[in-house]
Amino acid sequence: MATLNQRLINDGLFAGNALVIVQVGIWMLVLAVVGGAALAVTAAFAVFFAQGTAYYLRSELYGKIQSFSFANFDQFRTGNLMVRLNTDIVNVANAVQYMVILLLYAPFMLIVAYGLVILRTPELLWVLIVITLVVVAVMALLVPQIFKNYDLRQKRLDALNNTLQENLAGVRVVKAFVREDLEIEKFSMRSEAMRQPAFGAAFRVAMLNPILTAIAQLGIALAIWAGGTRIIDQTGFTVGSLVTFMQYVSLVITPLALLAIVVPFLLRGDASAERILEIVDAEPRVKDVSDAATLDSKAVEGRVVFDNVSFSFQRPDGKLDPPVIRNINLVIEPGQRVGILGATGAGKTALVNLIPRFYDVTDGKVTIDGVDVRDIPQENLRQIVGIALQEAVLFQGDVRFNLKFAAPEAPDITMEEAARAADSFGFVTNLPEQWDAPVARRGYNFSGGQRQRLSMSRTLTAEPRVLILDDSTSALDVATESRVQGAIPGFTNNVTTIYIAQRISAVIDLDKILLMENGEIVAEGAHEELLAANKLYQEIYESQLGGGLTANLEVSA
Amino acid sequence: MTTATTDDTYPSLRKKLEERSRPAPAPDQKDDTMQVIGRLTGYMTGKENRTKFIIALILRLTGTVALIAIPFFTGQAIDVLSTTGPTRDALMSPVLAAVGAAVIYLVLSIIAERMFSGLATSGLAKLQQDLFAHMQTLSLSFFDRQPVGQLMSRVTNDTETVALFYESAVSQMIRAIFQILLIIVVMVVVDWRLTLVALMMVPVMLFVTAVIQRISTPAFSRLQEQIGDVSGFQEETIAGNKVIISSRRHAWAEEQNDELSGFVYETANHAFFTALLQFPVTQVLTVFMTVLVLVIGSLMVLGGNLEFGIVVAFTGYVGLLASPLSDIANLTATTLNAVGGGRRVFAIMDEEPTVVDAPDAADFEFKGGHVDFEHVDFSYVPGRKILKDNTFEATPGQKIGICGPTGAGKSTIINILTRYYDIDSGRILIDGQDISELTQESLRKQIGVVLQEAFLFSDTVMNNLKYAREGATDEECIAAAKQANAHEFIENLPQGYDTVMAERGSNLSQGQRQMITIARAMVANPKLMILDEATSNVDTRTEKLIQEGLNRLMEDKTSFVIAHRLSTIRDSAKILVVNGGEIVEQGTHDELMAEHGFYYTLYMSQFKGKAPGGEQSGDASFIST
Repeated sequence: MATLNQRLINDGLFAGNALVIVQVGIWMLVLAVVGGAALAVTAAFAVFFAQGTAYYLRSELYGKIQSFSFANFDQFRTGNLMVRLNTDIVNVANAVQYMVILLLYAPFMLIVAYGLVILRTPELLWVLIVITLVVVAVMALLVPQIFKNYDLRQKRLDALNNTLQENLAGVRVVKAFVREDLEIEKFSMRSEAMRQPAFGAAFRVAMLNPILTAIAQLGIALAIWAGGTRIIDQTGFTVGSLVTFMQYVSLVITPLALLAIVVPFLLRGDASAERILEIVDAEPRVKDVSDAATLDSKAVEGRVVFDNVSFSFQRPDGKLDPPVIRNINLVIEPGQRVGILGATGAGKTALVNLIPRFYDVTDGKVTIDGVDVRDIPQENLRQIVGIALQEAVLFQGDVRFNLKFAAPEAPDITMEEAARAADSFGFVTNLPEQWDAPVARRGYNFSGGQRQRLSMSRTLTAEPRVLILDDSTSALDVATESRVQGAIPGFTNNVTTIYIAQRISAVIDLDKILLMENGEIVAEGAHEELLAANKLYQEIYESQLGGGLTANLEVSA
Repeated sequence: MTTATTDDTYPSLRKKLEERSRPAPAPDQKDDTMQVIGRLTGYMTGKENRTKFIIALILRLTGTVALIAIPFFTGQAIDVLSTTGPTRDALMSPVLAAVGAAVIYLVLSIIAERMFSGLATSGLAKLQQDLFAHMQTLSLSFFDRQPVGQLMSRVTNDTETVALFYESAVSQMIRAIFQILLIIVVMVVVDWRLTLVALMMVPVMLFVTAVIQRISTPAFSRLQEQIGDVSGFQEETIAGNKVIISSRRHAWAEEQNDELSGFVYETANHAFFTALLQFPVTQVLTVFMTVLVLVIGSLMVLGGNLEFGIVVAFTGYVGLLASPLSDIANLTATTLNAVGGGRRVFAIMDEEPTVVDAPDAADFEFKGGHVDFEHVDFSYVPGRKILKDNTFEATPGQKIGICGPTGAGKSTIINILTRYYDIDSGRILIDGQDISELTQESLRKQIGVVLQEAFLFSDTVMNNLKYAREGATDEECIAAAKQANAHEFIENLPQGYDTVMAERGSNLSQGQRQMITIARAMVANPKLMILDEATSNVDTRTEKLIQEGLNRLMEDKTSFVIAHRLSTIRDSAKILVVNGGEIVEQGTHDELMAEHGFYYTLYMSQFKGKAPGGEQSGDASFIST
């Protein structure tokens, strides 16, 4: 291009040849279009690779997360994983995109510029080198600073967002104590704290443009002086060559400026890639053994035995926390209804989580019908063991989709009967769309009590052989709770059932009640036995249903 | 990409996606774009910043003049060199002039950029702070309307798009416009004929840019929505991982994820490629411009109508014209994004609090704590009454228990007694003063609330206690902690009262957190108390400690206790039994038990027929939702 320029000036203009000028002009246009097309192809490649990478990572990373067990999720919180799935993937994709452009474009431009200068105007090569060095030096000075400030800005932004998040979550507390002013002060402080690094980064980024422009212009002035003196000294250097060289200068500035834009993206992408790899390299904690044998899920009787079981949570570094379950020996007969009572942190949930292998035991073994749960494939095991969790999570979709979530092939009649047993039939059929009624993300359009009942219905629809209800009636009033508990046995037909509860009223009429404290079963028996013999049980009874005796006496009197 | 699955599709999502694939109807929001831009820039260039902004503008303008002078000087230098027998002295002055102009441009531009960046970051800080301060004035109905996460991501994402606009778009846009206008002026002055030649490409460039924008802008907004879908789905399924694991639906989740990611892939390819096309197109058109100037200029030189130096200067000008033109194109996207974000930010800022103090509102005057509900009706959503014709009285110092089935409207009492919400009809009087005629602040300062969820800030224990009242001293807080039975365990924490609570206080047990919230309520020393089932989920011993603290807190105060567990309200002076928003029974425990009515049934259902004496619970028509 610039060479043509030289021809245009030397052969056309100074020779006074109009035809050459037009010819050269047309050639330049053709070259420009070819160059543009090449750039467009580069862009297409870049986008294709970048978005392809993003798609691949989204799919792989999410797939990996799906293979995780509970322990993995304890280590990587949802927010943490979401950052990797969103921001980090976008960062890597950006890095790939700019990398491809840079690799295809910048070296090419630089080589062409340097090559042309060496071939055509070697006298001025040093000017080009000086310009390159100055640009590199300025970048080396500014880019780390921009980075540091930008990083600090993001950290302060996180702090600001945390303040906002906490304010929103605790809005009732703020309003109750009328501390809006304090909140505003806190927020303003964080917002001001963010301003400084934000300024530091923004200012330096904004400076880049005038600096690069000025370097280019100064470089041209330098070239004119260096080239001009040669012309004056009549070394054979021509005005045409000089004008051409001026164009080479801009040829070098563009890729160097591009480098300035791209380097931060590359660094950020690199940091993100590391964080993604952390997830990819994580191993699922619970794995099937190679010779796992499938049980016939319909024929399982449901005899659950804990044989000297202990369990500790494992920290990410592999060390064990103090045990939350200690030497538990327990036999639950087929069809038995067992209640586990205890305070928060007593180990109730940890205990039942061992049955469907959400975690593996640290010591001892859990068996179903005599088979160690670790020898049953997880898929099969979780078909046998159904659990309605403490936190009733629903998914976006409709009611039917949610109720059949654990058993997509279940007939509608089973779903409806299950809904009846868990007391959700009534409110679902009162909805205008009934079973097709939309469920919002996480089930936000249903109340806490409704979500719990739907969650229980979902577990029942899959017709498990061992049913665990993990405090899943906590949001219900005692009357509804007792109605649900009364209806479940009718639906499940001789299924081993384990209820976890904080309220004594939820376990009072079960076959057996286990009282847990500090990871141990401290008492075991039916309500009457425990009430007669166990001091702790009496205490709980007194505190929760206290005065039941007196009240009754007064009533009957 | 996967095809539609049969029985377990994701209905509402699929519907949403179908709607998306249709072209969006032209939004009628366009008319307020300029208004939003004006309001946004107002934060940067508002009154106190006006002078700074104008100085920055002048610097920028002067710097741009210097920049544009450079091609003029280099053109002169070439002219000198083109003459026969040029001298070093003749060459020296235009070269030095060019260097001087470049230095002036550099210095002035850096100062201007510095000022603009300062304005941008303080403008953003002001916007953030104004938004937050306004949100603090909004009533609870605003916060109850949307999940925290949704509001949160809206506020943070939207202010970030505005930040980008402030930090880069505003100053670059000004620079680009200055540069273009000045260059055109200079070109016209130097040679208007060649100017026309150079500008011939500008309409083409603008047209192409407009076409690219027309394609890429909707593609990007569709991309944003699709990314929202993917991350919404991922968030939901990862947060609900326990259900996925126990229901064995990994395959379904992965399939859904791949399908949604596939949509993102396609749209992103389309959007990014179109946007990137801007770059080569601008390059090509710039070369076209240069070539036109060179060819036609050279021909004019041959015809003797022009000096060659001017042609060289013009190629310089064209080069200077190219980058601001493509900048404007890029900045338009940033600006439109910011307009979208700004529009949503301003929507929050224009939101009016639903509960406002009456113009002549008086401060609440405490005279013992006599509370009267007179025919109170209340609904969150018009037409769906939560409370119907509630009438009751609490005399000073009385403990009022409130019970009833789930969803009966028990917790609503807190919301209306503290005026988080205004009632539809009827009156609530405290010590003879209608609460709707009182200032919210004076009212809430006298009413203590202990909620079911023990919310603590991620700050030290001491600061959490001090939160209750401005100016509370360490001694007062420690005394309150002792009263609430919290002192002992706080002292045993690693840093005692200076221990920082982990996020949402998770380094303490639930019972301990509850005790801190009780101590906090004591620091506030309110005259009336409301407790919302404060003792669930803790072991019996902790519960006893908590109950002791609560009793001290409620001592001699009119208090309302909302209970699931009936034992907590057995000793109330009066128990209100709420069912379907109506108070169906009221009286003491013994009176209500003797009535054998609704309360009796509720009470007996706890025993499931295991009550001493073997009484069976009767059937009652619970109105639960």
